Amino acid sequence: MSSAAAVDTEADLVCELDSVRGIVDALCSVRWKRFQDALVELSEHGIVIIVEETGCLQAKVYLQRELFIKYDYAATGRPRFGVSLGLFIDCLNTFSVHGRSNVLELRYPGPDMQLMLRSVDSPDACIYAEIRTIIPETISWDYNFEPAGSTPLSFTVKSAALKEAIDDLEWPGSSIQISLQPAPPSVIFRGEGHGDLQIDFNYYANTDLLIAFSCDRQVSHRYKYKFLRATTSNIPASVLKDNRGSKATIGRGGMLKIQHLVSVAKPSVPHPHIDSAGYQQPSRIAYIEFFVKPEVEESNADDD
Amino acid sequence: MKFKAFLTDNGINLLEKRILPALDKMGRVCHLYLTRDHAFFLHNLLSVDGVHSVAQFSKESLFHDYRISSNNDDRIAFSVDLSLLHRALRSVLAVRDSNSNALLIKLVKKLPPNSTQATPFLTFEARGHRSAVVQDVPVSKPLSRADVHELHLAVESCEQLPATLVMAPELSSLHSFVDGMKHVGDVMGVSVSKYGDLHLQISTSLIALGAEFRKLKVLGERADPVAEDNGLSAKTRVERGVQRGDAMSVQVSVKHFFKSLQCSLAKPDCAFFGIAPQGACLMVFFQFFVPGTRVTDKSFSLHCKLPVLDTGSS
Repeated sequence: MSSAAAVDTEADLVCELDSVRGIVDALCSVRWKRFQDALVELSEHGIVIIVEETGCLQAKVYLQRELFIKYDYAATGRPRFGVSLGLFIDCLNTFSVHGRSNVLELRYPGPDMQLMLRSVDSPDACIYAEIRTIIPETISWDYNFEPAGSTPLSFTVKSAALKEAIDDLEWPGSSIQISLQPAPPSVIFRGEGHGDLQIDFNYYANTDLLIAFSCDRQVSHRYKYKFLRATTSNIPASVLKDNRGSKATIGRGGMLKIQHLVSVAKPSVPHPHIDSAGYQQPSRIAYIEFFVKPEVEESNADDD
Repeated sequence: MKFKAFLTDNGINLLEKRILPALDKMGRVCHLYLTRDHAFFLHNLLSVDGVHSVAQFSKESLFHDYRISSNNDDRIAFSVDLSLLHRALRSVLAVRDSNSNALLIKLVKKLPPNSTQATPFLTFEARGHRSAVVQDVPVSKPLSRADVHELHLAVESCEQLPATLVMAPELSSLHSFVDGMKHVGDVMGVSVSKYGDLHLQISTSLIALGAEFRKLKVLGERADPVAEDNGLSAKTRVERGVQRGDAMSVQVSVKHFFKSLQCSLAKPDCAFFGIAPQGACLMVFFQFFVPGTRVTDKSFSLHCKLPVLDTGSS
C-alpha cells in the first residue's frame, strides 16, 4: 500500500493467508473476555499468539507457517509485540466477510511499528488495516510444563463432551476437582459449592467419548471454575461439528494443559480425511493450548 | 380530508417484500405523505439528526382508483409505525382470496374501545373466499398545514445534487464489510472522487481500517486518474484528489452509513454515492430497473441523505 518497495526490504514478516475465517475461529477460542491484550511472537516456524490472565491461565495459538500460502520471514531473533486481541479479531472479521475467497496479507512492522493487513485478491478493491501495536509489558511468563512422571497423565475426550461437562459444572460453581484413576480407568470431574455434581468419563464404558487414556496412578487436583470454563467457552463451532477431540494432560505440580485443534481449511475445499479423532491434513490445523494452574492445595499426597 | 385507494398486485409485492422491510430498518416510525400524484415514505425529514430517507412512488406504481382530497391542496401527511403497517399488510394478504384482487386502503377515524375520542387509522380491507378482513393501523393525527409544507420543502430540497456520483461496489459485500467496521469505530470518513474512487475509512488511536474501491462507474463530473497517484497509499491518494479539487471527503456516523445500506433489502439494482456541494451531506441513491431490462424504473425511487459530522476541521 505505502511505498511498497521500501517497506518490503525492512519487514520482519510478510505473509499471506487464504482462510481468514479459520484464523478468526482459532483466535476467538482464546478470547474469554472483552478486553484482552495478546502477545504475538514471530519466528521462522510461524506465529504464536499468547494470552494470559492473572498468572493462573495462559493460552497459546500456534499458527504454523504451513497455514500460510506465503511466509517470508526476514528477522533475526524473535520479534514480539502486543496487540488488542478483540480489535485484531474484529479487524480480521471485516476481511473475512468480504464475500468469496479472499487472500489477506499480513506485514510487520509498518512504518510506525503497526501490524499491517490488506486484501490482495482484487486490484480495484482493497481493504486495509493498520493496527497499533504495543510494547509487550514484560517477557511473558512461560509455563514450564513438565510431565508429572514417566507415564504421562492424560486423556483425550470429544471436544463437545468436554465443553458440555464444563458447562454443566457451572451450577456447583467455584472450584472443580479433576481426578484420573487407573482402575477402572476413568476421569472424574467433581464440583462442590452450592451443590455437588460429579461427572465421570469411564474409558471402558464409552470409548467413543473418551478416545484415549493414560494414567498409572491416581491423581487429583482442583482448578478454579472460571479458568476451566475459559478453556472451552469459545471453542469454535467447527471443532464441535468436525467431531474433534481435545487432549488434557496433568503435569508437574498439577498444571493442567488442554489442547484443541482448530481447522483453518478453506471452507470451499472439503477434506476427505476426517476420522473420528478429527484428523485432518496437519498443515491446515491451528493448535490451541491452555495452561491452567491448580488451586493451592492443602493435601495432595498423590503427586510429588 | 379523504384518502382511499386500491393496492395493485405490483404495489403489494413492492411494499410487502421490498420497501417495508428496508424502511423498517431505517427507523420504525416514518411519515407517509400523500399528494395527488405521489406517495412518499419519509424518515427524519423534520428532524436535524438521523438519516433522511425518501422513498417516492408514483400513484400508479402502488394503487389504482386513487382518491385523495384535503383542503390543503389535496396533501395529507401523518406518521405511521412501519412494522405495524407491515404486519397488518401481511395478515390481510394471508386471508385475502387472490382472485378477488381488491385490497382497499383508506384513512378512517374510529372510536377505539374505552375511548370517547375518535382517532385516525389507516385501514386495510380485503375479502377472502368466505370471510372479509379489516386491519386498522393506528396513525398519528394529520400533520398541520405548516408541517406538511415543511415536509414538502424538504422533499424538494433534494435538488442540491452532488456533482459526481460513483456506483457502489456490490452491495451485499459492502454491507457485510461495514457491518464489521461497526465494531471498530463510530466515525467513518467517506471520500468520493471524479476518478471513480470510493474510499471508506475508520481511524482511531488504535487502528486504521479502510476500504478503497477504484475504477467505479462515474455519473456527472469525471476526471482521468493521475498516473503518479498509482503507487501511493489510499489515504494519500484521497488527500491529493481533494487538493486538486477532484475529490471530496466527509465524516459520517458508521451507524448511519450501515443503516443506509440496509436499503439493499429493497433489492435495488445498484446504488450511487455522492457528496453534496460544500460537503453538506453524503447522499446514497438506489437505482431500480424495470424488471428484465437495464432501464431505470421511474415510477419509484429511493435515496438517503446522511448528515455530516462536524469534526471541527476545514
